[in-house]
Amino acid sequence: MHALSVSSRLLPGLLLAALSSFVHAHGEAISIPAVAARDVPRALAVRGELKAPPRGVAELKFGEIFRLPVGPQGLEPSEKLASLDGKRVRMVGYLVPLYPPADDRFLLSPLAVDIGHEDESLADNIPPTAVMVQLPTAAGATIPRIPGLIQLTGTLSVGSREDAASGRVSPVQLTLDAPAARTLRRVSRDAAKAAEPRHRH
Amino acid sequence: MSLASRSRRGLPLLAAAVLGVLAGDAFAARISRLTPPSELFASGEEAPVIARFLPGQRFDLQATIEPDAGRTIVHFDFFVDNQSTLRPFWVDGELIHDPRERLTSTVTETGPAATCINATTGRTTGASGCALVAGLPANTTVISRRAFSASTPGVHTLRVTARQDDGTTISATGNFEIVGINPESGQVAKNIVIFLGDGMGAAHRTAARIISRGYAQGKAKGLLAMDTFPHTGMVMTASLNSIVTDSAPGMQNYVTGNKANNNEEGVWPDDTRDAFDNPRYEYLSEYLHNLQGKSLGVVTTADVFDATPASMAIHTSARGNGTGIVDQFFDDRDQTGLAVLLGGGRKWFLPNPSDSVSPQPVNGSQRRKTNDYVLGDDIVNGWGVARGVLDPERDLIADFRSAGFRYAPDKSGLDAAFAAGTPDKLLGLFAYSNMNVAYDKIAGRRGDTTVVDAFGFPDQPMLDEMTDAALKVLSKNPNGFVALIEGSSIDKQAHLMDTDRWTLEVIELDRAIAVAKRFAERNPDTLVLVTADHECSGAAIIGAATVSAATLAADPDAGKSVVGIYEAAKFPKYTMAEDGYPETTHIDGKMLIGYGANADRYETWLPSRYPTRDTQQPFPPSQSPANPNVRNEGTGYLVTGQVPGDQAAHTATDIPLSAYGRGSHHFNGVFDNTDVFFKIGQIAIGGAD
Repeated sequence: MHALSVSSRLLPGLLLAALSSFVHAHGEAISIPAVAARDVPRALAVRGELKAPPRGVAELKFGEIFRLPVGPQGLEPSEKLASLDGKRVRMVGYLVPLYPPADDRFLLSPLAVDIGHEDESLADNIPPTAVMVQLPTAAGATIPRIPGLIQLTGTLSVGSREDAASGRVSPVQLTLDAPAARTLRRVSRDAAKAAEPRHRH
Repeated sequence: MSLASRSRRGLPLLAAAVLGVLAGDAFAARISRLTPPSELFASGEEAPVIARFLPGQRFDLQATIEPDAGRTIVHFDFFVDNQSTLRPFWVDGELIHDPRERLTSTVTETGPAATCINATTGRTTGASGCALVAGLPANTTVISRRAFSASTPGVHTLRVTARQDDGTTISATGNFEIVGINPESGQVAKNIVIFLGDGMGAAHRTAARIISRGYAQGKAKGLLAMDTFPHTGMVMTASLNSIVTDSAPGMQNYVTGNKANNNEEGVWPDDTRDAFDNPRYEYLSEYLHNLQGKSLGVVTTADVFDATPASMAIHTSARGNGTGIVDQFFDDRDQTGLAVLLGGGRKWFLPNPSDSVSPQPVNGSQRRKTNDYVLGDDIVNGWGVARGVLDPERDLIADFRSAGFRYAPDKSGLDAAFAAGTPDKLLGLFAYSNMNVAYDKIAGRRGDTTVVDAFGFPDQPMLDEMTDAALKVLSKNPNGFVALIEGSSIDKQAHLMDTDRWTLEVIELDRAIAVAKRFAERNPDTLVLVTADHECSGAAIIGAATVSAATLAADPDAGKSVVGIYEAAKFPKYTMAEDGYPETTHIDGKMLIGYGANADRYETWLPSRYPTRDTQQPFPPSQSPANPNVRNEGTGYLVTGQVPGDQAAHTATDIPLSAYGRGSHHFNGVFDNTDVFFKIGQIAIGGAD
């Protein structure tokens, strides 16, 4: 029974991974390439227990961004978050590509979610802790979907900021370290190349 | 066939139609939509009459015109029973009122042609930044006449005419009905309380009774508060565009008398992209506030922007437009009489002064321009409503306070708001998004605060406490009130097929109903209705476990082998705690629920420690399963779904409506959800006899 159930669950998952675009209510297609699970670089993938971050890099969890319990007004940044402003941190989360597609930034979310269409503004499936991740220089290709948890190291910048193109508001931004940015650039270009239509010769 | 016709000036209709055909127009001129919707326009059949109104209830007239290729519309009019609705009003040679000037609008595609018109097909693209939806001829024109009303009961004919710049006239005909009110029909109901168990079908009610009252030898040992209501009918719930409704039309049909499309509230569908400019019709709250000075109260366990609460006061075709929805609650409080707003959804009320240049203070605000509203002159003039501003930086809690609302952020704050007497107006925002469900709130009050702590709001009120507070505030108005009290997560948890959570949601709602029943006993000029917007999940009580709680826990993959049907189900016995909720739902021989509109799920028949994920929350516990199709994966028994997607779906099944108090005898039999509005209108205005 279970063998059957596992295979029936895997199939839609595989189909989903292969799907590189979806169509909006108004017929606009978003094309965002996807990376297969086996192609996620070791530097990004989270497999098993993570080692402690290197010296000079603090670990920041999504649950540590805001103060608990919530006070009478809005969410408030935690003391830990404030203390890490301008510092190097490592975060673990799920990559959420932006819409319109971007080649130099994306969201890192505590949950594996997707941005909904702009018309479905409720489709703010994005938790308010989602962090805007910035590459120091553009990847030259759309940041692709990357399955599973990823780990990123960069410099934290605290403060609510609206992304002009997507309208997304993030409480925190993370500017990637050079090695992480290089990996992202490579993955993005590879994914874009793989997504190009193949011509017969 | 639509009842549309076209003519050139001086040419007989038929000849003109033939000319049009012979000319082989790429797009023959036509009227593709006439609002209010009617079967007469859609099919030529005069019945059923779709759009109905109470005398004086306002509504917009609108048509979508597809002119001949290259032509534009230069003039239009809407006629009701052959009388123009755009005649100017003169007194002693002075123009007093010109409806054409103040109440009409014309929308054409004014966005950049390269983006908005498909060069190959010549049709609209509906892309971002464009005025019209996709697939229309490039010169399509949407014409509106706002805030019309009529007072003569009966079916009326609506005819629209539009003249092109070449003189061709096209027209179409539909109909609507004014439902009369019998005056002097006895005493009226001053207060109208509508309990909306979102998604609550008959099975949901029965399940709550089995748990909270118990059965012995075939008889219920007690009744739910809603079971004690003297009159019960069955409601047909279809929306304008489907037999299966969602929560927006499901609710708003009760309080407008009109059918909406799914996702839309207080409006009919149109062909423009703007979600706030759709043709409107007046809500019960607006109608009775204008007519009688009643107040409006909206109480929900959901985010207050959610489809059901918004369907008491908000006019939009996109139920997800949170910023604009909460703004309209406040901006149009003089139109609706809003005096109480209680629920979750604080994220829409916090200022978001962010810009793309410099970082701003962090507060979790989700306000944004893209889902805010700005209205045109025709709507502002016709409806007397606020124009609106794209203002994500707005501090809406501060605005409510400045307007005299007491603000309660939690249960303690709710109690404190009454410390110095009952406030005149009350705003309570008890969670960042949807409130926690009764199952988790009660666990918190009993000492297990794991879930409410994880969500960040450990001190949330129960719905009966919110109801008590709301009724105290609303009853200060000597003119009476209209209140919606929603148990919203009956639906949300039924979607997730989390049996232990939705059953307690029904119990929580019933405890709130008991509060209102006591209020109605003391205030006999009150009508209390208990119903749902639709059934959710196709829930059915299939029997009970044939094994103990311990055995179930030891073998979560047991599946149907432990489902006792017929006499094997016996009578499950739950023990109720003093707080009014079962001590546990994990009992020997527990009641079992099946789902007819189910998605795939792994069933263990056991309570889930954590609620299934709500991504709107700021601190979604990592232990929360993402969906029923992964919850208990690897341990539970796979029940293959019959509907696509991750969650159970709404069904088209009729739902019960129970009524108590003045005029309750009007609610027997089987009736349409829009009929409820006209019954309330009669009882509140003409009398309950």
